[in-house]
Amino acid sequence: MSGPLAPTPSGPAPVLLARGVGKVYQSRGAAGGPRVANHDLHLRLDAGEVVALLGPNGAGKTTFLRQVAGQLLPTSGSIVVAGVDIVAEPLEAKRFLSVIPQECQPMQELTVEEQIRGFARLKGVPAASLDATVEEILRDVGLVAERGQIVRELSGGFKRRVLIAVAMASATPRLMLLDEPTTGLDPEARRQVWSVIRGLRRRGLGILLTTHYIEEAEILADRVVIISGGRFTVSGTVEEIRNRLPYRGRLIVLRADRLTAAGAEAVRALETRWRVTLREPSTIWFEVPDPFDRDTVGELARLASLGVQASLRPVSLEDAYLTVVGTPEALV
Amino acid sequence: MMTTVRQIGVATSMTLRATFRELGAILGFVVLFPLAFLFFLGAIVQHDLRTQVVVGAIMMEMALLNVNVVGQSIGADKESKLYDLWVSLPASPVVYVTSIALSLLPFSLLSAVLTLTVGAIAFGVSIPLALVPWLLLGFLLVWASTLGIGFAIGVFGRTPRQINQIAQFVGIVMTFFAPVFYPVTILPEPIRIIAYLWPITWGTVLLTGLLAANATTVLEATGVLAGFALGSVVLIGRGIRWRQT
Ligand SMILES: Nc1ncnc2c1ncn2[C@@H]1O[C@H](COP(=O)(O)OP(=O)(O)O)[C@@H](O)[C@H]1O
Ligand SMILES: [Mg+2]
Repeated sequence: MSGPLAPTPSGPAPVLLARGVGKVYQSRGAAGGPRVANHDLHLRLDAGEVVALLGPNGAGKTTFLRQVAGQLLPTSGSIVVAGVDIVAEPLEAKRFLSVIPQECQPMQELTVEEQIRGFARLKGVPAASLDATVEEILRDVGLVAERGQIVRELSGGFKRRVLIAVAMASATPRLMLLDEPTTGLDPEARRQVWSVIRGLRRRGLGILLTTHYIEEAEILADRVVIISGGRFTVSGTVEEIRNRLPYRGRLIVLRADRLTAAGAEAVRALETRWRVTLREPSTIWFEVPDPFDRDTVGELARLASLGVQASLRPVSLEDAYLTVVGTPEALV
Repeated sequence: MMTTVRQIGVATSMTLRATFRELGAILGFVVLFPLAFLFFLGAIVQHDLRTQVVVGAIMMEMALLNVNVVGQSIGADKESKLYDLWVSLPASPVVYVTSIALSLLPFSLLSAVLTLTVGAIAFGVSIPLALVPWLLLGFLLVWASTLGIGFAIGVFGRTPRQINQIAQFVGIVMTFFAPVFYPVTILPEPIRIIAYLWPITWGTVLLTGLLAANATTVLEATGVLAGFALGSVVLIGRGIRWRQT
């Protein structure tokens, strides 16, 4: 083994070690035949680390999380959670796991508190510390006022918090798996979920979450793994991934359909210099090697003097993501 | 083992609360059964079969609840992904399935009391006290056996709709091709073989054996039922299809 997956000889065992994981579905649908959902996935996740699995719909995010959660047997490879093999010893490994499946609904007819208490007991929280544990969780996820309400009557954002509360209720939490924890939530509810996730990270849990919101990965994750077509194509910190793009910035021309003759001439001249990555009637994007060097900033000033509305910005994770999902080999 | 028993207790306290809060259809089962069997008794059943019909109705109600409601609960939980949450818990599938089934038990008991009351008042059917322990054992075995059927329907069905259809179908076959409300001799040879594939038929065999004080029949039926029940527990405990392949 080599690279980022090599085990660090000293230091604590990772909360998750996935090696060569793959899944072939024996699909019986119209397309028929076996379908490779993911292939040869390697991932190491340490305590106190948040890893975001970022990828488009159908990329294989849920398949991987379900494999790690012991819900779906991998066709190949091995998955070890807190030192325990999830396939060989599922009951033992699941003691360290907390899971929120994609689009999961909590038990509808229980109150918030009944639900948390019940699952906490099922996950080994001893009766003696149950009250204290439940109080703490209710406070952490902001459900104190709703503790007596029937789950069915809560809004979507609160139901999601109930699920997070259920996931937190554990005697031996090590790894949390959150499949699209904020999909479908309004911006405020999403931020609340983020702050809960940050709190969990501070407590030393390892967190693996999936998302197709680039912003979410950017804000939450220590490390981002981009998954596309069932393979981990790129992995690293947001910074590292951004730096793998062959350019460092974008020059964006706005209102490109309303340029003066001189302005249009200047923009055309840029096209001989920098690659165009997007061309819409009113917007043109250029890749620039460095958005902060004097030469590039000078171009911006010159455009402005000709009445062209333009702006410069550094590359984002989104740029890298779109590049990867389109053509992975485009990264350096 | 102790953990599993404790977990069953916790999980059942959850499912019981949930079931009591959404009553509805289950009460239909509980009330309709005694009434339906009353019709059988009054209209078509010969006098000497009445005890069998009363006890058989109680068994049948329990079996149908297990097959229908357990199967459909699993289907609904699959749809809401709550099933995935249960699979990810450090608990055996026995905990999940048993907690669903136990949450139905109060309704089965209520139905049994209603059935016995109607049977006693309207038709003078009474159960000899000496038989009660054997009957309870028979009920327990039928209960465990049909639990396995409900579990199998729930985990093998792909969608809630498909699970409902299979559960309905199995329920109908079980109601009509198990000789609970008529003597097994009525059935033609090939169908009689099908009838003996259902645990509930053996429940009836046990019952008739008890009423006729025929020790061989009683032991035979108890043995077969224990086999069904064991198979059921193994099927659930081994977690067939619990983890998707
Ligand atoms: N039960 C299944 N049977 C067959 N194919 C499946 C099944 N579940 C998912 N897939 C396929 O596997 C691929 C990955 O799906 P999924 O892991 O759900 O992606 P994501 O979560 O990234 O949207 C998709 O092509 C999907 O159609
Ligand atoms: Mg998904």
